Amino acid sequence: MNEYNFILQYFNQFPLIIKVVWITSVILMTNVFILIIYLRYLRNKLRVKSSLESKCQMYFESSLITYLYSGNEEEDFSIEQKKIIKELKGVTSEAFKRKVLIATLLKLRNEITGEIADSIDKLYIELGLLQYPLSKLRHKKWDVIANAIRELTLFQVKGIQSVVMKNINHPKKEVRKEMQLYLVQLFTFKGLEFLNLLQTPLSEWDQIQLLEILQKSDDQDITDIKPWLKSTNESVVSFALKLARLYNQYEVKDEIIALLNHKNELIRVNAIESLNHLNVLEAKVVLKSNFIETSLDEQIAFVKMLENTYESSDKFFLLDYRNHENQEIKLIIMEIMKNLNFEEYYLYDTELFEDITNKKTTA
Amino acid sequence: MNEAKKIVLAEDNSVLSLLLKFRLEKEGYKLLIAKDGKEALELIEQFDPELILTDIMMPFVSGLEVISHVRNKLISQTPIIVFSSAGQEEIVLKAFDLGATDFMSKPFSPHELVIRVKRLLQ
Repeated sequence: MNEYNFILQYFNQFPLIIKVVWITSVILMTNVFILIIYLRYLRNKLRVKSSLESKCQMYFESSLITYLYSGNEEEDFSIEQKKIIKELKGVTSEAFKRKVLIATLLKLRNEITGEIADSIDKLYIELGLLQYPLSKLRHKKWDVIANAIRELTLFQVKGIQSVVMKNINHPKKEVRKEMQLYLVQLFTFKGLEFLNLLQTPLSEWDQIQLLEILQKSDDQDITDIKPWLKSTNESVVSFALKLARLYNQYEVKDEIIALLNHKNELIRVNAIESLNHLNVLEAKVVLKSNFIETSLDEQIAFVKMLENTYESSDKFFLLDYRNHENQEIKLIIMEIMKNLNFEEYYLYDTELFEDITNKKTTA
Repeated sequence: MNEAKKIVLAEDNSVLSLLLKFRLEKEGYKLLIAKDGKEALELIEQFDPELILTDIMMPFVSGLEVISHVRNKLISQTPIIVFSSAGQEEIVLKAFDLGATDFMSKPFSPHELVIRVKRLLQ
């Protein structure tokens, strides 16, 4: 007690600045000490968690492989498989173990195809794991919904598309993207029916991803794209034009020609490019008659179309625009004229005609 | 009695390694598993396998380095099957330039892999 009083008295003799420094140092030291203890606790906790995770993972990996190789053709599930299902079902109620189990299933599911992949999908359903992503589909947090849909896609869970489709116009684009990927990955062209109800924009990147899935699919039986070409959603129209080009949908030429009057310039340009790709010659009449009223990009798209579809009947149009103020258009027109072997061209060009005549006279 | 043909499998996905080990051992091969390229090189030098299966993307030493080591340093013509993922087409071409024998794009069918392994080890 005397020692304590002595220290206190000794401390009180210090000037104020020294006292403040001492108090601050003690507070800082205490904080550092508490933090060290907390970090040690956190590190131990993470180590235990990581060790438990590796143990669980090893157990699940070994169970999964045994399950996959213990099946027979006579029964849906062999006795050995039923035993493994029962064991694994016991751990699915614990969130941590369930997470590790799903990660293990996905780790293999993402790397293989064929019968074994189908067998993993079957196991996922049999373990009752489907109820968890399904219950998350109406979660308040958007990332939980997106992850749930991704899980359903990875395990190829069919028969719940009506529930998944409820997120069709979700305010978060990540959720919408997962929903679209789910539908197209599992149902290919039939899955594209969501386009009939889509009110939000379909980004260029989303369109590329959907087209990539469709092209990789074995099912190449494209559905009717006419309704999408008439959609009020401009991104859907743009996507439908890409489909028309990619799958050579000549039968929708009338709908594409109608798009030449669309209010969006980009769609009009895309429509011309699609008509060019599909070689729709009757569109040339419409495009030629409106040429002067169209934008520069449309004009360029049209002369590029002419480059592929020129005929001798295009001569007068080419002559009218041979001196177009845009260099690109001018060059393409010259190229077409050259290809047309348009020998009488100089007769229509006064300057050139005079030049040639003068040269002949001089000679 | 014929000794089982040795295959070195270099794959960082433990569950895929386990699956392929089971599948190929069922066919009578002896599987040596490496979880990265470094371990694969050690196994190759130690056991001189009849076939090498390697993923392209692996920690420490990549699949390309494994191929290069086998072809240029060990001067071995052991067949090498490469596993690649989507978007790794250019790396697959590099693998062929370095001397890979065949490639399989992930996800792949284990059944198809067995067929290719059998064909190469005939």
